[in-house]
Amino acid sequence: MQGDVILDCKGLSCPMPILKLAIAIKKLEVGKIIEMYGTDPGSKDDVPAWCEKTGHSLLEVVEVEDGFTFFIRCEK
Amino acid sequence: MSETGSKRKGSLRELYNIFFSKTWPMWVGGILLGVGNICLFIVLKPWGASGGVKNWGDNLFNLMGGEFSNMGAINLFPYSVLCILLLMGAFAGALFSKQFALRFPPIGELFKGLFGGLLMGLGAVIGVSCTIGGFFSGWPALSLGAVVFTGGLVIGTWLAVKYLLFEVSKFPKLSSGKTTSILSAGKGSWQPILGAVVVLIGLIVAFRYTSTSSVLAWFAAIGLYLGLICQRSRFCIVRALREPFMSGSSAPALAVMAGILVSMFGFVVIKFMGIRGDMIWVWPHFWVPAIVGGTIFGFGMTIAGGCTVGSIWRAGEGHIKLWASIVGMIVAMPFTAKYIKPAFFDALPDSMKQMFFLPEKIGYGPAVGVFVLIMLLSYLFVKWNERTGKFSAY
Repeated sequence: MQGDVILDCKGLSCPMPILKLAIAIKKLEVGKIIEMYGTDPGSKDDVPAWCEKTGHSLLEVVEVEDGFTFFIRCEK
Repeated sequence: MSETGSKRKGSLRELYNIFFSKTWPMWVGGILLGVGNICLFIVLKPWGASGGVKNWGDNLFNLMGGEFSNMGAINLFPYSVLCILLLMGAFAGALFSKQFALRFPPIGELFKGLFGGLLMGLGAVIGVSCTIGGFFSGWPALSLGAVVFTGGLVIGTWLAVKYLLFEVSKFPKLSSGKTTSILSAGKGSWQPILGAVVVLIGLIVAFRYTSTSSVLAWFAAIGLYLGLICQRSRFCIVRALREPFMSGSSAPALAVMAGILVSMFGFVVIKFMGIRGDMIWVWPHFWVPAIVGGTIFGFGMTIAGGCTVGSIWRAGEGHIKLWASIVGMIVAMPFTAKYIKPAFFDALPDSMKQMFFLPEKIGYGPAVGVFVLIMLLSYLFVKWNERTGKFSAY
């Protein structure tokens, strides 16, 4: 899977990854995908919870050696 | 391997996975921390965090020739020992769950950690409290100053959320740039093995204290427990106060309330029965120091991304930004206590810096009722806000 936009949140700790995601997705057209990189262990639960709350779709979570890659589709 | 041996190994793995494969619900952490808090009060006094970090700073600057307060050497002051073992417990929790890595943030984030830590140090000393001593333990101690301090925390958090939203929108480069992450677990199993070694060292430290001080021994053991719980449940008071203004989620606030209620039950028994003094953890900060210190502390912790305890357990997980936050507190606390707090307190009339133990005025039953009512109203507010998004940013 490949995203339309890359959001690099490596090295950031809570709340910055979610804050950046919330701002980034506002600038995105519906249907476009954000490919987000993160290294904060908290993001593993925070990103799915945020997607569920805001109605955006979490398409895939890939665990990599130093963290995660999330693919999130903008739904509104 | 025999079938029985293989089954035993499978059962042990299952047990291990229960504790370390997934993050625990935060409310589980809240309740377990509440129990730990009661244990600390039985041993000596309730849970506090900033006093321990201040002791690190006092000792450091005294070593460098300064003349700051002397509450005892780092290894002999209970809250100092508690904070160190809490860090070790969180380190062990991160290792067991393969979540440890040294995570170097962009330089702008590092400065925010340091700045947030400096503000927390200032706020904690001015307000005579932090999120643990003045909130998580202050409410169960039935101190009305704790409610005012919490009001300050809410104001500071709200202001800081406004700032963060502004920063990410207008100056995104401040939180972007070169980052490094090293020593992550990968597919290897060295982290859980090191985790077991860290726990063993922590237990040996606690055991060695038994020959000189049972208080220090228990503070060491409970510190290890608190750190492990904080890391595994990602217990975060900043989050509890911040989320209503960000995502609107009420779960972190409910987790903190659960912990406070558990602690309150134990604290009331301990105080009512005269096992420990009534005025313990009732600070002389009602109401001006509480509101001023709480606001400064609330702003600082939200910028840093962790309060005193939140910074300590995340530092144990390897977040360098939170190491910077701890450095900020270590620097700010001794200097604030020596040069700012005396002038600030001297300028205030006694009526503005009182110890306000509510049961002294209205009795234990009504006082507990007032605290539970305030908590119930807070619960209704965060649930309503979660549904309507009235105060949340997104």
